[in-house]
Amino acid sequence: MSVMRLGYVHLRVTDLEEARHHYSNILGMSVVHEEPGKLHLKCWDEWDHHSLVLEEGGVGLVKLGYKCSSDDDLGQFEKRCSQFGATTGRFSRGENMTVGDGVRITLPSEHTLELFSEMEFTGTDTGTINPEAWPRDMRGVGGHWIDHALIAAEDPGLVERFFMECLDFRPAERVVESIEHPEVVGTWMTCGDSPHDLAVIKGPNAKLHHFAYHLEDWGALLRAGDIFSMDDVPIDIGPTRHGITRGTTIYFFDPSGNRNEVFAGLGYRVHKDFPTINWTVDQLAKGIFYHARELNDRFTTVFT
Amino acid sequence: MRGVQEHGTVLTRLATLTTTRPEEGRDHMHEVTILPDGLQVTAAEEETVLGALTRAGLKYRVGCKRGGCGICKVQLVLGEVRYERPIAESVLSDDERVEGICLSCRAVPITNIAIELQEGDRLRRVLGFAYPNSAPPPPGRAASNPTTRNDRKERIT
Repeated sequence: MSVMRLGYVHLRVTDLEEARHHYSNILGMSVVHEEPGKLHLKCWDEWDHHSLVLEEGGVGLVKLGYKCSSDDDLGQFEKRCSQFGATTGRFSRGENMTVGDGVRITLPSEHTLELFSEMEFTGTDTGTINPEAWPRDMRGVGGHWIDHALIAAEDPGLVERFFMECLDFRPAERVVESIEHPEVVGTWMTCGDSPHDLAVIKGPNAKLHHFAYHLEDWGALLRAGDIFSMDDVPIDIGPTRHGITRGTTIYFFDPSGNRNEVFAGLGYRVHKDFPTINWTVDQLAKGIFYHARELNDRFTTVFT
Repeated sequence: MRGVQEHGTVLTRLATLTTTRPEEGRDHMHEVTILPDGLQVTAAEEETVLGALTRAGLKYRVGCKRGGCGICKVQLVLGEVRYERPIAESVLSDDERVEGICLSCRAVPITNIAIELQEGDRLRRVLGFAYPNSAPPPPGRAASNPTTRNDRKERIT
């Protein structure tokens, strides 16, 4: 029984056509379905129908969807979340396009989280038989898949405990006030063997810090940065490396001001016996931006 | 935000500027005065307040630069701006608009304007070599020097 991965991000944007250009032409996602005021998109290396829903009107996060192994898991997770004290409910097949029945949870941080186990399988652009390394008609940055999200919470320690106790996530790394007083300031949590499938950092409830696209390596990341300059995409920071996760990164903004990341180089694998790595808050800057070792004020203030 | 009355001297000097439309030959270009420094830059047609200040080598507190976070809000003390892209109510509320709060990364001046940075923020020059912020130039150079100091009011174009 497990949550497998981040399945979809549902995001608000102020201008759908500008967002289409950003996510489709610059980041390289494909629009797989559109209707008035809404677009569904996927990356070339994703198996399921979509991983991003853009909805016109406002900015910020509508909800995150995590994919689970089976319907039975959904029931178990729902029960545990309810016992924890979270508000839970059910959504029906078709309420999210091509997604089966699922569980909707309001997190202690007031974000909406959906768990599902079925989405229409449409395959990657390279397929399952003698696949090429990448599609020749790949556009722009060509992000492989949506990898993780970082959300804000007034009490990140509570959200960490929620994900550990209810959904079997494990903290691969966390930032604490000090080793002696380990109040959680941020947590990087995994449900598989990737350094993080969800991260939580201290900040205003219900807000998004960023969601990230996986890229193959540092070369792909540099190329992404070049494309952002060519297309006047505002870069927040990078290319650089995170101390936490060891991943290489560029933070940047979509045309509505939602923060995105391109993230490359899985720093390590989180096996069952992986101990949690602790960073003390006085080293947070090095943990976030390993080279500059200082935070820009946007990192802790810009949320949507 | 500090009150308008604190900048009475500068505002008196600005009074004619901020209520007039652009002069002939400089169609749709507007002066942006940043208080309390009194520094002036010129915004080109369709250029945002942030764009004009950045082009002049000036820096202040900004976030996403795309209207999503509200970090770059400033107080519009005089003049008018318009927004050419939709702004989320959660970022800039109607009440804030009425109070003269301006989202500088999206606001395009439609008259000469005067703005005041947020409390605790300050204007920084990142192009010091191009726009030296030192003593006034020697007499006789003023006419040809675009960064001539005039009391607390400067012009950067």
